[in-house]
Amino acid sequence: MEIQLKLYGSSKILSDKDILNIQLPNNSNIKNLRDTLKKIISEKYSKSNLKNLSKTAAFFSEKDEVIDDSYKLRNNEFISIIPPIGGG
Amino acid sequence: MTIHTALINTKEQKISLDKAKKFVYSSENGAETIFVGRVRNINDNKKVTAVTYDAHDEAVLKSFKIICTDAKNKFDETAKIFLEHVKGYTSVGEISILIAVGAGHRDEAFKICRYILEEVKHQSPIWKKEHYIDGKEEWLPGHSLRPKENIK
Repeated sequence: MEIQLKLYGSSKILSDKDILNIQLPNNSNIKNLRDTLKKIISEKYSKSNLKNLSKTAAFFSEKDEVIDDSYKLRNNEFISIIPPIGGG
Repeated sequence: MTIHTALINTKEQKISLDKAKKFVYSSENGAETIFVGRVRNINDNKKVTAVTYDAHDEAVLKSFKIICTDAKNKFDETAKIFLEHVKGYTSVGEISILIAVGAGHRDEAFKICRYILEEVKHQSPIWKKEHYIDGKEEWLPGHSLRPKENIK
């Protein structure tokens, strides 16, 4: 299955585009997405400040609500990654 | 209308102090407070030239409405509140956030202003990338929206 990860804040380092397509095993959940992100970051972005992103990021569903690690992902679903925030 | 909230795209416009003052004015209010946040030229001993603000627009606007409504319910239901935050490239000296409050009395006006600022920093999905004088840039660390007990 594939999900469309909408990138915000520091996660924009992961792609030149605003959305990153991520391949996951069928029936994956947010925990699986975190594990895949951790792998991508350790392989390609180990020198960036994204080291803890897979642990510290929250995720929003298409309804802009926080979803927890047990949330079951659907094929082609849009998910927003929410790195630690700090406006003002 | 007693609450105004917006995200201002800096490519198109700037935050207006005059607009905020006009919005919160009422002859029924005895106090007004205004908080202006600006991009400053130094952070962590690094010379800053600008900040790019990123935002999850829908979630930010939703959080702004909730925060302002909570502030009114908590401190003064008759208060008038203006809250705008920028999105995009913002040079040193420019306004990044403006909170204006008109309330019956000074105590409520100060409290609402402070409450909104702290809650925006705590709840609203907004991020800062600093641009430095040497051409480097860096996303700043922030506060995780994930429950602490889940971050191992």
